[in-house]
Amino acid sequence: MPSVGKSVPHDAALGHVTGQAPYLDDLRPLAGELIVGFVGSPVAAGELLGIDFAAAQAVPGVIACFTAADVPGRNMFGVITHDEPFLADGKLLYRGQPVVLIAAENAAALERARKLVCIEYRESTPILDVEESIRQKKFIGPLRRIARGDVNTTLAEAPHRLRGTFTSGGQEQFYLESQAAIAYPGEQGQIVVHSSTQNPTEIQALVAEMLGVGQHEVVCICKRMGGAFGGKESQAAIPAMMAALVASKTGRSARVIYNKDDDMRVTGKRHAYLSKWEVGFDDNGRIAALRVAYYSNGGISTDLSLAVMERTLLHTDNCYFLPVVELTGQVCFTNLPSNTAFRGFGGPQAMVVIENILQAIAEHRGLDAFDVRMRNLYGVGERNVTPYGQLFDRNHLPEIYATLAARSHYRTRRQEVTTFNRESRTHIRGLAMTGVKFGISFTTKFLNQGNALIHVYTDGTVQVSTGATEMGQGVNVKIRQLVADEFGIDVGRVMLMPTSTEKNINTSPTAASAGTDLNGAAAVKACREIKRRLRQFAAGRLADAAAGLTPSASHIQFREGHVRDSRRPQQRIEFGQLCAEARRERVDLGARGFYATPGVDFNRETGQGTPFFYFTQGAAVAEVLIDRFTGELSVPRVDLLIDIGRSLNPGVDHGQITGGFIQGMGWVTTEALIYDAKGELLSHSPTTYKIPAITDVPPIFNVATFENNDNTRNVYRSKAVGEPPLMLGIAVWAAARNALAYFSHEASTALRLPATGEELLRCITLGETELQQSLESVEAARSAGGIIATK
Amino acid sequence: MLDHVLIWINGRRHEIRGREAFRSLSDYLRRELGFVGTKIVCSEGDCGACTVLVGRVAADGSRLVYRPVDSCIQFLFQLDGTHVVTVEGLGGEADPSPVQQAMIEHHGSQCGYCTPGFVVAMTGLLEERDHLDDTAMRCGLTGNLCRCTGYSPILEAGRLVDVSQHERIEQRFPSNTMIGENERRRRESIEVTAAWDDERHTFISPPDLEAALKAIDAHLQATLVAGATDIGVRINKSLAVPSIILDLNRMEELAEARIENDELVLGARANWTTIADLCRDAIPEFHKIISVFGAPQIRHVGTIGGNIANASPIADSLPFLHVMEAVLELRSVHDAREVNINDFYKGYKKFDLRPGELISRIRVPLPTEEELLKLYKVSRRRDLDIACFTAAIRLRLDGETISRAAIAFGAVGPTVIRARKTEAFLQGREFTEQTMREAGKIAVTEITPISDVRGSAEYRYHLTRNILTKFWYETVTTTAIAGV
Repeated sequence: MPSVGKSVPHDAALGHVTGQAPYLDDLRPLAGELIVGFVGSPVAAGELLGIDFAAAQAVPGVIACFTAADVPGRNMFGVITHDEPFLADGKLLYRGQPVVLIAAENAAALERARKLVCIEYRESTPILDVEESIRQKKFIGPLRRIARGDVNTTLAEAPHRLRGTFTSGGQEQFYLESQAAIAYPGEQGQIVVHSSTQNPTEIQALVAEMLGVGQHEVVCICKRMGGAFGGKESQAAIPAMMAALVASKTGRSARVIYNKDDDMRVTGKRHAYLSKWEVGFDDNGRIAALRVAYYSNGGISTDLSLAVMERTLLHTDNCYFLPVVELTGQVCFTNLPSNTAFRGFGGPQAMVVIENILQAIAEHRGLDAFDVRMRNLYGVGERNVTPYGQLFDRNHLPEIYATLAARSHYRTRRQEVTTFNRESRTHIRGLAMTGVKFGISFTTKFLNQGNALIHVYTDGTVQVSTGATEMGQGVNVKIRQLVADEFGIDVGRVMLMPTSTEKNINTSPTAASAGTDLNGAAAVKACREIKRRLRQFAAGRLADAAAGLTPSASHIQFREGHVRDSRRPQQRIEFGQLCAEARRERVDLGARGFYATPGVDFNRETGQGTPFFYFTQGAAVAEVLIDRFTGELSVPRVDLLIDIGRSLNPGVDHGQITGGFIQGMGWVTTEALIYDAKGELLSHSPTTYKIPAITDVPPIFNVATFENNDNTRNVYRSKAVGEPPLMLGIAVWAAARNALAYFSHEASTALRLPATGEELLRCITLGETELQQSLESVEAARSAGGIIATK
Repeated sequence: MLDHVLIWINGRRHEIRGREAFRSLSDYLRRELGFVGTKIVCSEGDCGACTVLVGRVAADGSRLVYRPVDSCIQFLFQLDGTHVVTVEGLGGEADPSPVQQAMIEHHGSQCGYCTPGFVVAMTGLLEERDHLDDTAMRCGLTGNLCRCTGYSPILEAGRLVDVSQHERIEQRFPSNTMIGENERRRRESIEVTAAWDDERHTFISPPDLEAALKAIDAHLQATLVAGATDIGVRINKSLAVPSIILDLNRMEELAEARIENDELVLGARANWTTIADLCRDAIPEFHKIISVFGAPQIRHVGTIGGNIANASPIADSLPFLHVMEAVLELRSVHDAREVNINDFYKGYKKFDLRPGELISRIRVPLPTEEELLKLYKVSRRRDLDIACFTAAIRLRLDGETISRAAIAFGAVGPTVIRARKTEAFLQGREFTEQTMREAGKIAVTEITPISDVRGSAEYRYHLTRNILTKFWYETVTTTAIAGV
């Protein structure tokens, strides 16, 4: 029985539910293992004048302290540009930036020592937001641009024009397992690093550079992550380098486990954006021209920010045809931990801008935003070329939008919402549909490759190793299913091995939703190579001269745990038996598969190309209820419909969709990153940073997939599902804006992201002078300030 | 006098001595026993990844009652006589429990890090009911965060647990021996002293109120600990263990919650789960606030006495206690006295408790039928969040006229504030929207909020002003106006 298309449980589900699936900090310490912690910069910007760790080093149990001066190789690192220091060197760039490493034999000694380190510094004024970095022209990388047509003229000639500024906040990945690494020395200076990383190859390379050794002397292994969401694509590097440096220097195993507060304080997040837009459109709300200038809060270094911005520019169109357009993007330097990948990778920041603009157009014209969206959708056979010149074929958006509008009873509910808002004095409701068209492939061409190693044993069981890392998304079980079906064996006979740079080399990060696409396709290619050899062997083995059956490899089939000749299927050999016999005849039962996505390329200088292999498409309808007195928001109903091609595993994919949506809903509602004036993150734990809880799941939450068999390009006609659903969460924000539009145009225009209760009430009370006056009298009368405890 | 703590963990008996007794339960489980299925994420009771079941002997002594708690903010010195069950105790890879089986089959785990906590919390829910439905799970799993699944698959798994095969904890781990041994030692005090990092630490666990009062009198600087839901966080984040700890968990007294002579009579050790059960019908408004007080894991151990003595201006229960003129009974070995809670707080985290005194009971008059009472808590997220703003409004109406008003606000000043000017303004006025709007303008002159991570001062001013009008809409009977 084929397993592809079935809801096979997650690879490690049994281990998860029984607590038997170990994460790094669950591993028993090796003999003599050291616990490694760090002391970070006390300021967001300044000069590092001196470090005194003598007292820390004297604490019993403390084995060593290290600073940038102890790094034997290169202290600077980075994925795109080597512009970020591993340990602070000369300059202090952000609060909590690692300055001193402390390696101790126990946690108590480490904590005592941390308090005894003295960092001498001269503080300077940090840049903390995009506005300030624009003022100072402190940018990272070049301005990027994608354009089509004459924007100035088209805007000038458009019947209607609107302009605005939009801000979206950052978002913490909030993986539950914090950054973690364990390193230990091998023979002859080799280092083995176990890292909770989406990118073992990158860790291997960075550790080698930092230690000044060859990549062949470093092995990086990742069995699983307790969540990542992009937060371990580049950010796993520093903890891994910390562990590796200590292991290399001391000759002992070294363990780095960030606590949640430190993790949130010192690692990068989703980029906050400032976007300035201007749009021209006709009476019906159809866009004639659009200009958007994006500025992202990059933090202290390049990290992945340029690629994130690139994806922003490539997703401004989202589901909508923009005939004339000019998009520019600039990454801004700030004294914050370098912002980084997070599910959606610049896509959400772009899509919320266009969806916001469509709401604004609808309000301006007195139209239902749904109708405006329908009029702007990409066409089939026309109006189907993206601003970057890629043909958008296999467009299912018109059908998805129409189907979802019908299934969610959008029109009827619009009436109900309008009636409700006319009558209620206490609450306002809002309703909106938004869509997603997410391009699948890394926009950096070379990353679109994967390799897999397949080992078939003589009992017919199979070990598979790929460059994909398992972070919960279910890539392992999907690859198991693909391999099992290739060999026609039970999925239980296929095992996915830990991701290791010993087995799979020069791999890409498990990112861009492409983990299964790349690594699954590579695994299939390896299987087919082994099958090619086995076919040759089986053809001879199953041939029967007496019966007139000549050897024919093309008639050999792998089905139901057996191998057979389709001309005489009743004479079959058990797969394991065939493997054992094949080995005796010196048939190679191992193979390596390599896959490179065909036909994708993008010229970032011209902003033109075909960066995407295909598009995952979908839409969501959200309804919100807002308390007029407190701004509190709830989401009573969500309907969504998403085209993920032919699902390899509906159970896994369903979980990706619900999980992604709720994560997106968190970004647009409750997840607020609050910093103080000195650049310290105040919301650095779940007490103060609020991701959605179980009660935030809409009581009515209809999730459906769009039946579609046409993604012939990709492995088993599937489509990537990891990131796209997150952007459907934008429907909740759009519904909030829609609700405010019933209140006043001023309120809806003012709404920023996230739409917290506070933000919503701010919009509702905009322009009220009454309270302001009474507050002024309060201020005058007030003598002592209040105090509010933090917990 | 006993020199150790006795705990059973997954059916095995452990005598805990010396420094070990000061460790957090999660640390002991993971580092000492290797039960690493219990995960640590936040160390502050705000994610539920460390959830375990703690069984305590029921009031009638007949059985162990198991409740999910956050093991990161429970310490071994609090747990004498308990049976702790971790995810490893519920079922292994060879024999997963029906809850575990459902979580596997319905894709309830993705990255798996929150999963043991969910499995334990769901199993805990099945200690009190025969099956899991959405309502039970939405109320019962607010203390468990998941970042991967969007919760839907977990809800699905819960609905489809094969409850016919489910075993209660009592069936897995018979409790006779545990209860028997507890009974033999429950009249004795426990005292453990240990020294580390050049400091001496002692904890004393008295078996009754009399012994507790004596111990307080002998150690005036002792830190009193019941649920430890607040002090546990402070210990974890500062890594500083108080030098003398007085554990109140083994006392028989002061855990009661009952209604007597039109009053709520609450022992200071009554936990929020107990109080919520009592208030469900008696004071639905207070029940509503308790249901968003922390999460089940917190409510099972957090006490009303702790909420009062922690003296935070954002404590969820305090506005209610203020407008109801709750009376605190204070006891020392020498004396007993009563204080109205409105006179108790003297400033930020300062209150009228003399050396040697403890809060023993709280008496709260029940609202009468002709009174209007509404309680409010505004937070960024509805559940498992700390308030940005709290309020209690209690009005007595004489026809259309307000004959008496009591209004309290929290999180807008160094203590919970009674809005006396607003109350005076309302007295004798007609209960109309206009009156309440005017009252809101006065209320903002009585508060001194600041901006912090949970909200700006401006937001708090707006909330204070608006809440009085909201109150009017919610209490007028014509739902057509309210619309919802």
